[in-house]
Amino acid sequence: MKKTVLFAQIAALGVIGVFTTGTVTAADPAKINWSRIPATNVPLFYPGQSSYEWLRSDAHKNAAKEVKRGDSCTSCHDEEGAEKDLGNKLVQAGPLEPMPVKGKSGYKDLKVQAAYDEKNAYLRFQWKTDNAYPGTEHQYLRFDGKKWEVWGFPKLDKIVQDGQMMGIYEDRMSIMIDDGKVPGFAKQGCWLSCHDGQRDMQKQFTKAEVAANPLLTSIKKSDVRKYLPESRNDPSDWKTGKSVEEINKIKAAGGFVDLIQWRAHRSYPVGMADDGYVLEFRLGDAGKDMFSGNADATTHAPKFMWDASKVGYKSITVDQLHQGDHFLIREKNAVPFDPNAGWKEGDMVPDYILSREDAKGSAADNNAIASWKDGMWTVVMVRPLGLTNSDDKALKAGGVYDIGFAAHDDNITTRGHHVSFVKTLGLGVAKGTKVDINAVKLP
Amino acid sequence: MNLTKPLLVAGLLSLNLAGSALAAVDDEAAKALGKRNDCFKCHAVDKAKKGPSYQKIAAKYKGKADAEEKLMKNLTTGPKVKLEDGTEEEHKIIDTKDPKELKNLIDWILSR
Repeated sequence: MKKTVLFAQIAALGVIGVFTTGTVTAADPAKINWSRIPATNVPLFYPGQSSYEWLRSDAHKNAAKEVKRGDSCTSCHDEEGAEKDLGNKLVQAGPLEPMPVKGKSGYKDLKVQAAYDEKNAYLRFQWKTDNAYPGTEHQYLRFDGKKWEVWGFPKLDKIVQDGQMMGIYEDRMSIMIDDGKVPGFAKQGCWLSCHDGQRDMQKQFTKAEVAANPLLTSIKKSDVRKYLPESRNDPSDWKTGKSVEEINKIKAAGGFVDLIQWRAHRSYPVGMADDGYVLEFRLGDAGKDMFSGNADATTHAPKFMWDASKVGYKSITVDQLHQGDHFLIREKNAVPFDPNAGWKEGDMVPDYILSREDAKGSAADNNAIASWKDGMWTVVMVRPLGLTNSDDKALKAGGVYDIGFAAHDDNITTRGHHVSFVKTLGLGVAKGTKVDINAVKLP
Repeated sequence: MNLTKPLLVAGLLSLNLAGSALAAVDDEAAKALGKRNDCFKCHAVDKAKKGPSYQKIAAKYKGKADAEEKLMKNLTTGPKVKLEDGTEEEHKIIDTKDPKELKNLIDWILSR
């Protein structure tokens, strides 16, 4: 555990260098006095398969009409303990959870603090993990004696639920942000983007359906992920995508939500959070992410392995999981894979290679520092103000934004998160302007 | 099913006739029954939601002798009720087999 905190501090040092360059002064997120910044508790709950379509169906008792009309989720779900009741119910086996994860919590308290200066917005999150260890492990490439195969899967996967495979997946903290340009987001938040047909949702796509879909083939996608209603001719049918030209017009008008994800394996070790957006798909921003696949497309063998001269090993085995930081970082501890290095059955190398140096463009906008201590993650996302990229929502002092929060905890992805109803985030808004979270201007 | 509801209504009426209206309301029990039946999805104490606030309902029936009877009908027979947006919908029938529990909820609503 100490190693995890230490690594965060080392990563933070790298981040500080970035913050202190340029003509405008930016705060060091590790040195902000957070005890003086107001904290807001944002209840997070397990949503199961409560999709955009389910919310508009008669199964959503006495609420379909209201949801279709555009009423906010909290016009009904605002009673005391609403999120806790929903999450504790939905995390169990039922119509909206066909594959419950044993022992998973239905609810989490997320503590949110916000600050800003002339250069950045700083969003600090704290939440407790279900496990007594930080979820920094991610999938591996494992040598089975003959070939390398992906090892470790998220806990909603059948192979894990059947006990045939270990559940391994990174923890995440995600936020979706809109500036009022996405119809309905201020009322229904993230639920606009969650649809039947997507991965791990009801009526999940088939490969044949995706291969026959004009929109998804034109944007070179092989599955169905988050999308906004405006990107489809029928918002409740993922197959009815609009043309790329129409979607580009929506994007140019700001009709997308920004999606920032802090990833405990794929961005945390290099002091970053990824930067993406949702419109016709969950897309990465232009440029290059801080992580990429480590499997060779042809042989599926690793492209990189650990540099034994720096870390003392070229690979690990399953008994070493959760005992240290198993990050493979190109510029720090990786060397090109040597197929003749005496590999034995059970040797494991990370399935992803990280690099802060290689991250480029709009995809590399967001920094972050983090630590895990006594069962709690503390993450500070650092988002530059005034971004002008076509795939970013520009934050500015005095602005008010609609924001949704999600935490993926305990080796899981897709629907296996805890989410919030949509909230409002202000950056130093004037007295009298009501927001759920008001970022404090740093001196 | 059809036999149960009149029996429940009759039981509640007899409780009322027995003069129990002055009995102290069990606040927690009323809220628990309301929560279990999703009452608070449509009603709040002090603001209109899909349905009127409980304060508005209490004010409407204040001093009226048939207040309990009318609320009981709403909660046990599922009549069409007018919503805040002007449309109509069948009111949910409260799921309880305990007449005292239901009467406590009605008393709680009327005392808001």
